Amino acid sequence: MSSVGEKWRGAKSRAVQSGIPDLEAHVEFCRCAEAFEIDSVLTAFGFHRADPIVLASALGMLATKIKFMIAVRSGLCSPALFVQQVNTLSALTNGRVCLNVVGGHTPNEQRGYGDFLAHDDRYTRTDEFLTVCRAFWEGNGPVNFKGVHYHIENGRLNTPFIASGRTAPEIFLGGSSAQALQLAVRHAHCLWTLPRRPEELAIRIQGVLDSEKEVGILVSMIARPSHAEALSAAQAMLVEIGNRARKTHQDFSRVSDSVAFTSTLALAEQSSSDWVTDYLWAGAVPYLGAPAIALVGSYDEVADGIIEFTKVGITQFLFLGWPDVPEMTRFSEEVRPRVLTRYNAGPDISQEARLDEKAEANRL
Amino acid sequence: MKLKFHWRLLQGGETQGVTRATGAGLRATGLPDLKPQIEFCRQAEESGITGLLTDIGAAKPDPIVLAAGLGLATERIEFIVAYRSGLTLPTTFVQQLNTLSALLNGRLSLNIVAGHSPLEQRSYGDYLGHQERYARTEEFLAICRAFWRNDGPVNFDGSYYRIEDGTLNTPFISPQRSFPELFIAGGSDEARNLAISQGTLWMRLVDTPENLKMRIAPVLAANKEVGLRMSIIARGTREESWRAAERLVEGLDASSRDAEKEKRFMLKSDSVSIRETYALAENEWLNPWLWTGAVRTHGAPAVALVGSYDEVAQALIDYASIGVTQFILSGWPKLDEMILFGREVLPRVRKLETALHSHGLHNAGNAANARTPRTHA
Repeated sequence: MSSVGEKWRGAKSRAVQSGIPDLEAHVEFCRCAEAFEIDSVLTAFGFHRADPIVLASALGMLATKIKFMIAVRSGLCSPALFVQQVNTLSALTNGRVCLNVVGGHTPNEQRGYGDFLAHDDRYTRTDEFLTVCRAFWEGNGPVNFKGVHYHIENGRLNTPFIASGRTAPEIFLGGSSAQALQLAVRHAHCLWTLPRRPEELAIRIQGVLDSEKEVGILVSMIARPSHAEALSAAQAMLVEIGNRARKTHQDFSRVSDSVAFTSTLALAEQSSSDWVTDYLWAGAVPYLGAPAIALVGSYDEVADGIIEFTKVGITQFLFLGWPDVPEMTRFSEEVRPRVLTRYNAGPDISQEARLDEKAEANRL
Repeated sequence: MKLKFHWRLLQGGETQGVTRATGAGLRATGLPDLKPQIEFCRQAEESGITGLLTDIGAAKPDPIVLAAGLGLATERIEFIVAYRSGLTLPTTFVQQLNTLSALLNGRLSLNIVAGHSPLEQRSYGDYLGHQERYARTEEFLAICRAFWRNDGPVNFDGSYYRIEDGTLNTPFISPQRSFPELFIAGGSDEARNLAISQGTLWMRLVDTPENLKMRIAPVLAANKEVGLRMSIIARGTREESWRAAERLVEGLDASSRDAEKEKRFMLKSDSVSIRETYALAENEWLNPWLWTGAVRTHGAPAVALVGSYDEVAQALIDYASIGVTQFILSGWPKLDEMILFGREVLPRVRKLETALHSHGLHNAGNAANARTPRTHA
């Protein structure tokens, strides 16, 4: 949701994007997502954006059903304060909050916040951060913790996490590195990762699935009535955004230490074809960044593409579109019914068992 | 400059007669209580109150998130967000506040406190002592101000923070200002110096005008404002106000459980002003209107101006005449006292204020008039 109002998400460098929230546009987006029964909307984090917790607090007062997925990085505030903010937000929205924990992808940006740790140390700190947060949410008395990065003595908060049926928010952990996968197994409900060929993805996520955690993918979408229309929409987009956007992401890639982002960019730059599978297109990645890896095709093809991912165990999807609202509309009216039909017809009993989860888990 | 009057936001679980000391459970104060709080905000707007103090503490909801929620449900009221350094990095803090300013069109200011309880600070992972907390807050605010100057990447290398090329794309949004008013709260010399170096206003607990005059002189000389935190018990007659004051502490003598709780809180605190106010409370009346009788049961900010509408209005003007320009008030019952203040006291203050300005600051009616001190029977 954080790029509401921007036609080509990711085409502009972060430095020139507006960080002033357009409340009206955001509310309209949330209500649209509610109408299409989307489960939650991501409020992303970055120096170029409005703060996601504060934004969600305001939107939560105006949109009454949608859940907010708050992006968070460790190292920017005390875990006790973070829990206090999330719990306050949960009380304002009756529990409509979950977390997208990320390690941070750019050392330059982290230093602007006063954080000078390298990639692997950031994961160690995130591990401690989540350990402290979860201790607060467990609510078994005062929290005491002494680690390398945090030291909490008799931590107590009077604002609990408020939600029906939960005492803590769901945690989605973003990343593709080995550390991210380990962290997801330790702390998360679900790993968010970027798509690859399903066979390749299956190997990467096996350990996470074995530990009974969910895995979701963050993927863009261009779904149209026919294959040809989808392709021409994709091509028209590349023509319009042009090569300046490409340079933006080459520059970004040089300063990022995110495994997920840089490996996806490398995949797109190095492959001989723009197509990772029949439905998964990396053609926009050099122009719009790693999250621009996209399911492209007719409604049937995109539905098939989603089903391929569900067959290797993916149960949640975070979709992005160019722009978001029309793509969300096409997804909800055309793609989702096709996905559900295929899903129900599937021969695999274990998949059937997950149907409810899947139906609620379309995230945009 | 027109005097500004703020009020303390009603907390979760607090109703008309119930304060933290007299029964609102700690668990209730930890929860936002949106319906009564929104009603309180709207009443404050009606009553001519400028801003509502939104407390910070482990026992309370986060004030930034709460202000965002309440701000979306109100039109004019401002939120005085209390915050401490050491909980969050300055870049994150500015990003949150700027986002809030964009959502509320600048309806916020800051009440920066250094933290009054070492134990509570440790529960957030902060192990610094009183003086170091001030030194850190100095750096914290210097960085915040650098972001608010909005003149390129922020670089800072201090004892507590190091920032390299800090950039934020969300500016502070307000029709009048490029950064929020910065109240620095605290009675110590450190707090006062911080108000002079980084603040726009020194906010401290009330004392008599005579005692305050010297203390605030350096702040005024530095062209910064002075604000007072106090309570108000104003009624139609002086006798009624005394009765209201007595009712407030009835059954809550200084050996009660609540008083013990406040005492324990005080002993754990390293706040200079909280300790000083407890010492002041040895005298029940500091002057004919300034009453400390509720401090031991209701905490340091319960030092109250007690009197008729006219007396309380004049007492406020006495502070204005030594240079005080803003007030954060509270009272009991929570809502009614604010309504009375807006209806009865504020119009009287405005009238006297006009006279004060037309006669010049130092000639206006000071305490040396016919009002007689109360002999406490």
